[in-house]
Amino acid sequence: MVKKKQNQETATPIMVDEDELSVTQEEDLTYKDLSDKLAKVRKDKDIIGYIIRNTTSATVDLQEPEKIVEYAIFSSQVLDSSQDISDIFELGAVSSVLIEGKESKALCMNIEGNKISIFMEKDADEADILKQISP
Amino acid sequence: MSNEVYAFALKSTLEEIKNACPDVASNFIFKDGKVIAKDKDTEEETAIKTITAFDALTERADTIGDVEKITIRSAEGKVDIANINDFYLTTVSSKEADEKYVNTLTRILIPIVIKVAEKIQPASTENETITIGQTELEEENEVEATKETDDATEGTVDQTADEVEDNENNQSEEETATAEPEEEIEEPEPEIEEEPLLPEPPATQLIVENLSGLLVPSDTVRVDQEVIKQWNELYEDTKLKEVEVEALNGKTTRCKFKQIKKSKDSGKGIIKMPEKIQLTLETQQGELVTVKPIIE
Repeated sequence: MVKKKQNQETATPIMVDEDELSVTQEEDLTYKDLSDKLAKVRKDKDIIGYIIRNTTSATVDLQEPEKIVEYAIFSSQVLDSSQDISDIFELGAVSSVLIEGKESKALCMNIEGNKISIFMEKDADEADILKQISP
Repeated sequence: MSNEVYAFALKSTLEEIKNACPDVASNFIFKDGKVIAKDKDTEEETAIKTITAFDALTERADTIGDVEKITIRSAEGKVDIANINDFYLTTVSSKEADEKYVNTLTRILIPIVIKVAEKIQPASTENETITIGQTELEEENEVEATKETDDATEGTVDQTADEVEDNENNQSEEETATAEPEEEIEEPEPEIEEEPLLPEPPATQLIVENLSGLLVPSDTVRVDQEVIKQWNELYEDTKLKEVEVEALNGKTTRCKFKQIKKSKDSGKGIIKMPEKIQLTLETQQGELVTVKPIIE
């Protein structure tokens, strides 16, 4: 006699927070929109590369892929330290940071939870880039 | 000593910047992680916290090279941290602040004050050296006089034990000892002669604006009168006729200068330049150039 196996499935109820879902969807839409804009900006010869990330996704496009980690750490540090400085002087949330180095410069922004860093040559027009990216 | 000179000069400048721009909420200057000067409304702790955050950022900045400037735009205002001659100037301003005006003031005033303070500091150190040298000479001359009259070392109370022994040992060593003050006399003299030397011309960054018209001489630029005023204060007895202008690409030219006529353009940190000079420098309206007076 062959015994039939009985598979018992227990369904775990999933609680969906509608507000949270809509925020995530909104974030994804903004992320996609920003990614498109960044891809367009990236074509400029003065742009070295960019990083965009939010809580769920990240895109990196850099001239020197072997330095991704360095750029990512730097990008994160710029936004964290800038927010620290802004908090010290009670200036609220940071909207953009321009950091100019001897060799190149970086424009970092936080747009609706999407953290963006654009690395560019010193001659690049950051105001124009900011204009293109800003919603 | 050097920090005191800088601190005094820079503190006054920071206060003046705040007076001129009420929208500047806080400003301070730091170097090597230490606060050099701050305005009276900025707390030491606030400045130190900012320096800590800034240091954390610069440690990771290898990808872009040494940090020259950071501009943080926030919901309620802006923070600027700019490297000026190895000093970092931090300016916190409200959203309403006239960005161009604040930048012009800080870019002109702070470098000039730093340069002036640099000039004052070595001069005061030189003076101190001379005073010490003279005191030593006086003491040693007294010692020699005592030796001549008494021919003994008992009177040389101020001398060290070694010097007394040397004097007793032999005449040749005494000669060497007497030769030393002569050398020391010779040393300070050239330093005294150098005192009238004028300070190095300060380089000021100005924004290029077009200068055109039928009667405009093509070999003359028009410089912000605030800058000319600073130069005149620095070189009171020297008549300044020409300036050296350097573009960002490194090209330089020497030309005559006059002050900007229109009062509305005063204090904006601009240099009006005929097309011919712009072509020579390969620069154009809106770009930055460095200007310094030629001292002859």
